[in-house]
Amino acid sequence: MNRYASTPGMNPREAAEWSTGRIIRSNLRAVIGRAYPRVIGLTREPSWLFFEIFLPFLAVSAFVFVYRALEAPEAYVGFVVLGGAMTAFWLNVVWMMAAQFYWEKDQGNLELYFTAPMHLMSILAGMAIGGLVMTSSRALAVIGIGSLLYGVTYDIQQPLLLAGVFLLTMIPLYGMGMLFASLFLLWGREAFHLAQLLQEPIYFLGGVNFPLRAIGPVAGVVMATLPLGVGLDAMRQLVFADSGVAGVLPVGTEVLILAVMGVVFIVAARLALGYLETLARREGRLTLRWQ
Amino acid sequence: MAVTGRGASVRGMTLADAWRTFLTATKLGWAIEANWSDPFLFAVYTMAKPLAAAGILVVMFQVITGGQNPEFLQFLIVGSALWNVVFGVMSGLVQSILEDRERYRMIKYVVVTPTSLFPFLLGRSLARVAVSFVAVVLTMVVGVLFLGVDLQPNLVYLIPATVLGVTAVIALGVFMAGWCLSLRQEAWSYPEAIAGALYLVSGAIFPIDILPTILHPIAYLSPTTWWLEASRRGLLGHGSPGAIGGLSDEAVMLILLVSTAVVVPVALAAFAWFMRRARRAGLLDMTTGS
Repeated sequence: MNRYASTPGMNPREAAEWSTGRIIRSNLRAVIGRAYPRVIGLTREPSWLFFEIFLPFLAVSAFVFVYRALEAPEAYVGFVVLGGAMTAFWLNVVWMMAAQFYWEKDQGNLELYFTAPMHLMSILAGMAIGGLVMTSSRALAVIGIGSLLYGVTYDIQQPLLLAGVFLLTMIPLYGMGMLFASLFLLWGREAFHLAQLLQEPIYFLGGVNFPLRAIGPVAGVVMATLPLGVGLDAMRQLVFADSGVAGVLPVGTEVLILAVMGVVFIVAARLALGYLETLARREGRLTLRWQ
Repeated sequence: MAVTGRGASVRGMTLADAWRTFLTATKLGWAIEANWSDPFLFAVYTMAKPLAAAGILVVMFQVITGGQNPEFLQFLIVGSALWNVVFGVMSGLVQSILEDRERYRMIKYVVVTPTSLFPFLLGRSLARVAVSFVAVVLTMVVGVLFLGVDLQPNLVYLIPATVLGVTAVIALGVFMAGWCLSLRQEAWSYPEAIAGALYLVSGAIFPIDILPTILHPIAYLSPTTWWLEASRRGLLGHGSPGAIGGLSDEAVMLILLVSTAVVVPVALAAFAWFMRRARRAGLLDMTTGS
């Protein structure tokens, strides 16, 4: 009689019946395994380091010089630097979360994910945690270099609240990336174009380079849909308390909105992933390259 | 007999064959560029990016000036609109060559055919370049209709400025395409990095006087600086704010002509050198997985 790997089961059905502890351990290993290349990539891929700091920094510099040409108050330079740092997270969400399943399909990894004994949410969680760690270093570099070069001064009176708002922004932001990972795969062949489409329009709607209040009533729509915009507006109120520029809503209200968004995006990502998995198993089409 | 004489023409090497290669590659490029989506989403994609990019600048301008200084707004709109061409040409040429090497893995087959890669590359990237021109027109139309941009086109000045400027930008794109072919890592990011750096130094959205002094020589050496300046004069009837705006129209056109005349042969020679290097080093069928 055969035994199946390390389980006491004597047939495939018995072997597939895992204890809850084993399921949790297996999924945790998947999270760590998927986060590992992104964390270790911090030191092993210098070209990433260069481009992920250099590109947002170029954009930051261009907008800083526009404000200087317009003789804007110095607080606006700080708005741009903070916006540039948050852009690094958004780019990470778009290119390394949302488009990731598409690249994985092209490289032939997606079918391995579907057949491995783990939940796909563990893969997405691993990508998010790894991406968050990796991008935090880039964002800090953008803030550090931008602040030194352009002489930005900060007035932070509630650092703990600021840290809480930042973390609370990351949950719906990466939840959105998890949701888009499934949607990009379902929508079509060109993740590249979809990712491109989510750059400048989102920078505009998210108020990355100006106070969100400046776009008028559209800011209300942003408050309901775009965690980048809500989080950035709340963080600007906390980081530049002395700027005199008002946020769209009080920080407390924006914190509540971010908390709700976090739940909504994670649940939506879970549902989309379930649908994707059903399609992949039923049609087999989603795991074919270049489809 | 399979042997051909030294003087016999080789199919694919004539101008007519190069033209046919260019047309075929153009059709291929358009299919790849446009058929990934339905026409509605493609139209949204084409319009949303440039309009959002211009929108960011317009809101920044409005927040600070409250609508005063309309000349600066015109400066912003024209620079933002024309920059679509620089980015479209650079990313078009580079991404075409990288996609064909890394993703579709067919550049090696194009290279071994008795034709030149050059017309293929130009045709393959033409769709992206065309889309960038649509973005220019669209941004200008929105600027004129909704933002009070007062166009006073001087075609006698604008047409040669456009021909020279676009030629220089294509030359920069050809150089980048050759360079990226010889890179092993992160070649996809290079066009964005170089276009971003040029965006910063070319006076696209702010006068170059605002830049740190150390960057001024780079700004004055870049043909994109002079193309943008000449185009502003051809479209708006006046130049940029700052020192460069004090030059005469003739001087700006002459500098654009000279910078283009320098960039084009250098870019073509560099492309040829990069291609020879790529052939020798076996880079044409290499995939970096980046």
